[in-house]
Amino acid sequence: MVMMMAPGGTRDMCRLVLDEGADAVYVGVVGWSRRGAEHELSDDEIRHVIDDAAARGREVRIVVNTLPSSTEIPMFIERIVQYAGWGAKGFMISDVGCMRLVKKLLPKVAVHTSVGCGVTNFEDVRFLRDNGATHVVLPYRMTVEEIAEIKQKTGVGIEVFLFKTPSGGKICPGKCMMSSYFSYRRWLDETGKDHFYGSASRGGDCLRVCQTEWDFGPDDSFIRHGMTIKTNPALWLDELPAYLAAGVDCLKVPGRDRSDLLVRDIVRFYRRVLDVIQGSDRPDLSGFRDELLVFHQRWKVERGIRDNRLIGEAEREARRVERAQVSAKNFEVVI
Amino acid sequence: MFELSTNVASPQQLRRGDFSAYDALYLGEFSCLSYPNNFCAHPEFLAEAVAQVYELGKKAYLRLFAVPSNHDLPTVRKVIETALALPFDGFEVHNLGLLQMLKEMGNTKPIHLGVFGNLYTDATARVVKDYGVTRVYPNPELSLDEAIYIRDNTPIDVLIPVHGKIPLVVAETCFIHENSGGLPGEDCKFKCSQEHWLTRSSGDWSLKDTGCMTLSGADLCMLEHVDRLAAAKLNAFYVQSHGESPEYIAKVGRIYRDAFTRAFAGEAEGDVAPLLEELSGLAKMGLCNGYYFGDAGRRYVGRT
Repeated sequence: MVMMMAPGGTRDMCRLVLDEGADAVYVGVVGWSRRGAEHELSDDEIRHVIDDAAARGREVRIVVNTLPSSTEIPMFIERIVQYAGWGAKGFMISDVGCMRLVKKLLPKVAVHTSVGCGVTNFEDVRFLRDNGATHVVLPYRMTVEEIAEIKQKTGVGIEVFLFKTPSGGKICPGKCMMSSYFSYRRWLDETGKDHFYGSASRGGDCLRVCQTEWDFGPDDSFIRHGMTIKTNPALWLDELPAYLAAGVDCLKVPGRDRSDLLVRDIVRFYRRVLDVIQGSDRPDLSGFRDELLVFHQRWKVERGIRDNRLIGEAEREARRVERAQVSAKNFEVVI
Repeated sequence: MFELSTNVASPQQLRRGDFSAYDALYLGEFSCLSYPNNFCAHPEFLAEAVAQVYELGKKAYLRLFAVPSNHDLPTVRKVIETALALPFDGFEVHNLGLLQMLKEMGNTKPIHLGVFGNLYTDATARVVKDYGVTRVYPNPELSLDEAIYIRDNTPIDVLIPVHGKIPLVVAETCFIHENSGGLPGEDCKFKCSQEHWLTRSSGDWSLKDTGCMTLSGADLCMLEHVDRLAAAKLNAFYVQSHGESPEYIAKVGRIYRDAFTRAFAGEAEGDVAPLLEELSGLAKMGLCNGYYFGDAGRRYVGRT
């Protein structure tokens, strides 16, 4: 039976997706997941979500998928042990070293690799399996045939996003540092936790610089104007029966940084879709297509608002640093 | 004392270039198998190449393709099989699955983990060390202090890039091909032989694109910090030169060879302003220090 995992970007979102039939909810820990703090939960909230899910016979996955500093690892492990003690059944992790440590310490928990692992082939999956992964999330662009081959050659739990990039543009995330190249700031908080503003891999938000307008071409003769660097992924539907037949174990609904209501409606939609697929040998999904188009539109609107906010932040941060540098130079001149 | 290395993609570049300033060469263009005569995709060129590099008195490391799909694995396997029988000094691996493959193929040569190996922690360094990795190229987002921490606490050698554009993105598809009218599956027209740039329509942001890889617009430059690198007992340095001219490779190599030679001999670095000017002249979009000092990759922090 495939497991549908839904996002819990807020406590309300967690409750709503469980109401709508998600088998598990995944929640980010403040400072430890690849999203900004407003889409992560505090420890108190996480404890409540774990209790609520357990009462309904559902599970919680804790997202701790930043690529941490070496010195943060003891703190990382301490948290994992705490959440496992509260009843969390699994963790989403990017750093292979941390993955191996967690599996050694808590052999019974599920370890999902994060998309940050940047898997491209079945040998990658074997490597991750051998180092503690129980479930491997595959990138958006893999075909059904590739997924089937990976499942057959590795036997590991396969997780896919209900989200894929139709074509074009750079791969993202896992192998992208564009955001932090333009805007990045590092600081330690009072607990000794490292924070990396501008780096999605390290727990700051990706500032979506790929979504601003770029000109592109050889030397100075641009062949494209006002383009984005990356095509945005979209929710998908028709390939779902084939994916399940290929051996997918876990479907991940995206949207930790979307509105509670949009995520609730998406989960409700996919619950119905999955019930139809699982109730028939030849499921007919044509009746869901129009509804999917509406979700595409709602998603696009929310994404646009968020992208503009983040790009604005990237610009402000860049200007702040420039001003600070100018002030420092002026100070040197005065001295 | 120290090793200065750079990269060479093909036999033509190996013949044409002046690598006299370097101690070691990484052979192959790891981001694109279709790159013309790429060592990563052409086992038939490897024997001659390794012989040529030895004739130059240098070490030869073979780079393996960074983002192989299931479909590409047989090509990579063939390259590894050929290289195992040749006197390469090591492999460079970016894809963790290939560590598994090398282990199963009985490799005993040292392995270097490349930039897209996504190495952020000493915990991960210990994992890859178990697969034969002896040197790691820490993710560019790491500060110099973090790289040193990994070296000391794993322990493992670290490769420190000192000059050249910073690899920021690697993709499975070619951005140049896609955006210049090329269709999926259509033969590559090697338009990457011309420099391609991404420039923000309304600002000063720029990136260089080589098709399957996006690089920083500015050139990483650590010339002003050579003393500090030597004092930290770092000893493996790298000039990223993919997409650069033979003149660039020779000139940058010479500047850093001289600077490190002085630094390791305990001599003061002196006035580097004229050399910085020379390096600036080679960098279309200016110089930066990457993330070494905890700042955004494109910033430049002077010695003072």
